[in-house]
Amino acid sequence: MCPGIATDHEYSEQELDRIIQEAVEANGSVRDAVIPILSEINQKLGFIPVESLGKIRRYINTPEAGLFLADSHLYAVASFYQMFSLTPTGKHVVRYCASAPCHVEGGRQVIEALQEQLGLQPGETSHDNQWTLLKTSCLGVCGVGPVFLVDQDIYGNVTPEKIPHILAKYR
Amino acid sequence: MISLTINNQTLEVPDGSTVLQAAEMAGIAIPTLCFHKDLSPYGGCRLCVVEVQGTRLPMTSCILPINPGMVVNTESEALTRYRKAILRMLLQNYYDAGYKRNNGKLGIDRENELAHWAEVYGIDIEQYMAKKPAFAVDSDPNPFVWVDLNKCIQCTRCVRACAEIQGRFVWSQSYRGYKARIVAGSDTTMLQARCESCGACVAYCPTGALDNKMSVSAGLADRLVRTTCAYCGVGCQLDLNVQDNVPGRRVIRVTSNTDPATVNKRHLCLKGRYGYDFIHSSTRLTQPRVRQYLLDSAPRPKDRGKWVDVDWETALRVAANGLVQAWQAGGSDAIGILGSGNLLNEESYLLGKLARQVIGTNQIDCCAHIYASDLSEHLLDAAGIPAMQNPFDEIASKAGTLLVIGSNLTEQHPVFGAKIRQAILRRKIKMVVVSPDFFNIAEYAALPLYPKPNTEAILVQGLIHFILEKHLADHAKCQMGSEDITKLKEAVAKYSARKTSDLTGVAIDALYEAAEILTREPPLSVIMSDGLADRTVARQNMQSLINLQRLLGSLDTPGGGVNFLGSQNNIRGAGDLGSTPNRLPGYQNCKNSTARAKFEQAWGVALSSAPGLSAWDMLKSVSEGKVKALYIAGEDALNVSPDGGQARRSLDACEFVVYQTSVATETARYADVLLPGVTFAEKTGSFTNAERRIQMVHQAIEPIGAASPDWQIFKELAKRILPSIERQISPAAYSNWDYTDTAEIMQEIAALTPIYYGVSHSRLDQAGSLFWPVESEEHPGTTFLQTAYFEPIQNTFIPIKLIVPEGYQTPILTPV
Ligand code: SF4
Ligand code: SF4
Ligand code: FES
Ligand code: FES
Repeated sequence: MCPGIATDHEYSEQELDRIIQEAVEANGSVRDAVIPILSEINQKLGFIPVESLGKIRRYINTPEAGLFLADSHLYAVASFYQMFSLTPTGKHVVRYCASAPCHVEGGRQVIEALQEQLGLQPGETSHDNQWTLLKTSCLGVCGVGPVFLVDQDIYGNVTPEKIPHILAKYR
Repeated sequence: MISLTINNQTLEVPDGSTVLQAAEMAGIAIPTLCFHKDLSPYGGCRLCVVEVQGTRLPMTSCILPINPGMVVNTESEALTRYRKAILRMLLQNYYDAGYKRNNGKLGIDRENELAHWAEVYGIDIEQYMAKKPAFAVDSDPNPFVWVDLNKCIQCTRCVRACAEIQGRFVWSQSYRGYKARIVAGSDTTMLQARCESCGACVAYCPTGALDNKMSVSAGLADRLVRTTCAYCGVGCQLDLNVQDNVPGRRVIRVTSNTDPATVNKRHLCLKGRYGYDFIHSSTRLTQPRVRQYLLDSAPRPKDRGKWVDVDWETALRVAANGLVQAWQAGGSDAIGILGSGNLLNEESYLLGKLARQVIGTNQIDCCAHIYASDLSEHLLDAAGIPAMQNPFDEIASKAGTLLVIGSNLTEQHPVFGAKIRQAILRRKIKMVVVSPDFFNIAEYAALPLYPKPNTEAILVQGLIHFILEKHLADHAKCQMGSEDITKLKEAVAKYSARKTSDLTGVAIDALYEAAEILTREPPLSVIMSDGLADRTVARQNMQSLINLQRLLGSLDTPGGGVNFLGSQNNIRGAGDLGSTPNRLPGYQNCKNSTARAKFEQAWGVALSSAPGLSAWDMLKSVSEGKVKALYIAGEDALNVSPDGGQARRSLDACEFVVYQTSVATETARYADVLLPGVTFAEKTGSFTNAERRIQMVHQAIEPIGAASPDWQIFKELAKRILPSIERQISPAAYSNWDYTDTAEIMQEIAALTPIYYGVSHSRLDQAGSLFWPVESEEHPGTTFLQTAYFEPIQNTFIPIKLIVPEGYQTPILTPV
């Protein structure tokens, strides 16, 4: 299990401020830093609380230097990438690859097994906040398809039979 | 230049042009949707495809740069097929709920750009559009902007309009794939996402997904009437959309037009685009009224008694009688006239003529000067010009640095404010904003300063002190003689950084930083407004800014200058044409006998050389019984300041008050006669904006009820006062009052007002606008106005004196 992933989506204002401040310090207050800062929040909290956008903007927005960053810019980025979530996720996030190469290698059976074993449809989070199931596109490791991710860990050549063992590591 | 061939036509176009631009130059139209020439290109919809020799697939012409010798074809069967396919694809995600009115019936929108191209390519919208809505039809609570994402084709014109024109960045295209949609802020309402309701996104949306909420189902206009906005000194051009043969409201909406010659092009602000309700407001005054006691020839009751609706003849007779009685009791100066920065140029001229020729007084001023000192007058004293030196666009394109002081720029002059935002973003120029309160424009400032109220002049003195001490001003550019610099140094010696900081409350570091910013990138452009007009310090504010600009060499420099923007739309025109207590039209001083002689000859009567009282003093002297009658024309005297105490007392004490207005406001309580004037939609004439740009106002609808254009009221009143007043008026070129229209009044203005010499309505209609001075009928007008145009400048340094009277919290400045 990958360290650094938040255990649940309770977080304090101060924590969020600290995460953003550290991410800004590490990546600079420039436009290019937006994605690394968003990833940092997503990783630490499991999702990007929408109020982070206003906080990030205040660091980076420098109209006098020709850069005006509004919430709309940040929201466009945060909502575009599938690796970001704008809603709280469960303790563990399972993202399965839904692109064609994985699909033809038996991906469909894997997806069905995941849905059944977790009792979730893509996009849903379990009632006990333990699991979130998400769909993603090609992860770039098609050679070992079908593929899914649990948090930051990647699993290749998966079959429906292997799924209980993989999930058990996180229960 | 670069050459290419389009549809067998070979032409040369400037380097860097796109194929679409080249086609336009060749007069060839290519269908487009996501492209708009005011916005940055996007290349998203692909409707603009063309064939390029040597490429396999059609190319999007709006983002296609030209290679030398390119051979382009814009029409073919294949292209038509392609464009049809694109339109059908766009329609798959387009759903029209059918709320547009066509010939009285509700139905689908046939007027937007997408519908237009569908029609051109023979595609039936109803057949191909989505079968059900994917979003709520009216999904945002913004009171002015209608949002219907079912009609959105994701062209992002709204995103670009809000970013590149209004500078608010409300919209983005968020999410991805089939979920992608237009989102306000972080998926909030528009207003929560910083929207200022300017309607730019509406004006640029090609599908009606964004629309004008107040008139979304109002149907089409029968006529568009181009006119000048009546809200502020930017003077935007807009089209009043008029429906004839409709009972009740007839101005159904305001639209803007992409006309590169105007101040605003397609941009407008909230006020201009959506603030047209007042035209048809139920509070409009539609019938003249007089108080009962005047009809009964009874003494005036304390509260002036009951109102009676009367016909024009009675109202004018009663008004004229009252004014003549005051004249007989106390002479010409017993009458005070309050004009307005909302009147037409022609009306301000007539009102001045009424005061000077008919009544024989210079006692005329604008209501705006009841509380705010006339900064134009101080500017004339300090720099010999009363108005802005630069056009707005010149400031936006040439200023090296900006100092915005005493101006809530984006609210007072929003379209200019938006130009300044864009100048900062695009040209990376720095701005210092000085105001006691936070103003929205400060969001774009490199440095905002918040001095205590009325200490702005001290702050500027302190800045000058620091600039001199650190030798920050460029010697070669300085517009002051060395002697004057020495004097300036002495004058500001006592404003050390510490002292200035103590007096203004601005931190020393901030003062240093400001001085550095203001001197780094010349020219400095000072933008100021009525925030500096407090009567105790207005003169000193103006003087200290002129001193600063002379020292920096930024006066008389395109993009520099001290640019004063008044608070009302035509306060410039009112000043230009004599609504001031000491100046005849064209800033000709009433004490100057040559200037007077010209008007005496034209008007056929001897004129008073004594300046009248300013608006404020006029009201004060009512209480002393000197001013016995007031004629308030065009504006709510009580509504020009948060504190109406003195004005209320004066109006209450005044023996006879004539109030001419389109809406009966609180001032009406103190009036004896109410004369219904009209709004800008009901009359023709001209306004002059803050840049000195004279533009036409065109009548769109007939006056409401019995209301009458203000100039006609002045004319009728003058005709009724003249016979009973004992003034020797002999026949002369312009002695009479027989005007048939305002064009004729403009002819008279032109004949007597040097800065308007070459102005006529026909020329304005033809040219769109003219910047005064327009010295002759051939003269093109003057976009840049040199200082000392009206009055020679005695000294390049103006001494300013600071006194701190005992017991005052804030220091008070007084002139030397
Ligand atoms: S109305 Fe103006 S400020 Fe509001 S979203 Fe549209 S363009 Fe932006
Ligand atoms: S709302 Fe209109 S302008 Fe904005 S993307 Fe959609 S269709 Fe284009
Ligand atoms: S398709 Fe699944 S990893 Fe590439
Ligand atoms: S107009 Fe060229 S791609 Fe839309």
